[in-house]
Amino acid sequence: MKQQTAYDIDEVAARYVAEMDGEQWTSAQEDGLQRWLARDPRHPGALLRAQAAWMALDIPRPSANVQTEQEKPALWLNRRTVLAGGSTAIAASIAGGIMLLGGTGYSTSVGEIRRVPLADGSIVVINTASAIDVKLRDAARNISIERGEAWFQVAKDQQRPFIVAAGRARIRAVGTAFSVRRHSSKTEVMVTEGIVEIWANGAEGQRIQLKAGSRGFIADDAAMQQVPVAPSAIDRTLAWRNGKIDLSGARLDAAAAEFNRYNQRIVVIADPAIAVEQLDGVFRTDDPEGFAQSVHVTLGVPVDLSNSAQIRIGEPGQ
Amino acid sequence: MAAWVTEHVIPHERPVRIWLARHASQEDVDDLIQESYSRLAALDSVDHIDRADAYFFSIARNLLVRRLRRSKIVPIEAIAEIDAFQDDMRPSPEREAGSRLEYRRILALIDGLPERRRRIVRMRKLDGYSQREIAKELGVTESIVENEVFRGVQAVLRAWREGETQAEQKLAVIDDRKRQS
Repeated sequence: MKQQTAYDIDEVAARYVAEMDGEQWTSAQEDGLQRWLARDPRHPGALLRAQAAWMALDIPRPSANVQTEQEKPALWLNRRTVLAGGSTAIAASIAGGIMLLGGTGYSTSVGEIRRVPLADGSIVVINTASAIDVKLRDAARNISIERGEAWFQVAKDQQRPFIVAAGRARIRAVGTAFSVRRHSSKTEVMVTEGIVEIWANGAEGQRIQLKAGSRGFIADDAAMQQVPVAPSAIDRTLAWRNGKIDLSGARLDAAAAEFNRYNQRIVVIADPAIAVEQLDGVFRTDDPEGFAQSVHVTLGVPVDLSNSAQIRIGEPGQ
Repeated sequence: MAAWVTEHVIPHERPVRIWLARHASQEDVDDLIQESYSRLAALDSVDHIDRADAYFFSIARNLLVRRLRRSKIVPIEAIAEIDAFQDDMRPSPEREAGSRLEYRRILALIDGLPERRRRIVRMRKLDGYSQREIAKELGVTESIVENEVFRGVQAVLRAWREGETQAEQKLAVIDDRKRQS
């Protein structure tokens, strides 16, 4: 083991960082990484240093175009960064003042699901076609959901509340896990662990506490609603964190809409009569074809896969 | 954690390396530095660390002392002296300049990369494209993009190393002058 030089180790660490930075990071790679980390006391340090090296390049350029950088914060797309015993952070403040003003933006394209460990130890999993902004400050941790959905596992820090803003909705947590999805005129909150507090911006006097296993809605007109749900239903709704869509008695039209969140090739229910049919099953978010095949088999309706832009299920007027 | 390391530890890595190099071989210094980072990686939180530079230095010093004790080549008094050494890590204008210098060097480093690598690192880091999007944009495979990212990370690691060697040479020159005078 000693014949392995620091340089050799750096090379392996740099390779891992490049792989983690990409789109594909499999559990087999994760296992390989964990084994490698455990093999030599120098390995975790080399990985941390290589991650810091890659992150050092994130610093915005301090020149005439600082202004434009500020208006359009760089997107940091670190896929998945893992360290022994904990998560790794993305810089929100490497460059000092400049970045502190703007926060750090992360976005996902259609079909992409991204896991982002934050500097405070919290983890954000960002769902398809979403954009969020992260500002970690001494007084508070502020996250803004510009569009889409994200799930948060919040690291405990009594001194710095973790506040998510989505439209008018505000969600405050101390140490807990929950998801926030921004719809066109309301925001949906689901709590998987602990308790969060929700309110509407401008109506701070009215707050609702949501416990694990409940779902809340905050409408743009500040109306709030709390709906109890079974924990299993929450797990199913959040199956996207593992790249899955879990349909359990979902209506066909709702299922199609769900697939359409993740794919360019959209699912069209051509026959309104079958839209209310219910379906069960777990599918990959990027597999609308598999979903269509399954509908074809279970409901016995025609499926047209000939068009690469869409998948038509059922024929109208049949 | 990595963000904290980038911001608070990396700028101080070089002085720690230089100090270690007075007592250990180059290979040992590399090992000690990696092991010191491993200690940081094992921390659950860095909230309790007030002065990252001093903290990092004391980790490295402890590891050095352990190694010297095990080797039994260095006299015990010398080890005791190393153990008691307190680096003056107070913020100074030089130190401030030092951390900013790192930053400028990073920018110069990106500019100094070969054409395709520079382009890919820029797209990834400054324009926010994903590796897949870069591959599509440039009409190359994702593994080519990943490989350029890998070379990019290596380039930074190498620059940090070489910077340290240069600083060491400068220090050696100063020592020589002192000896001559």
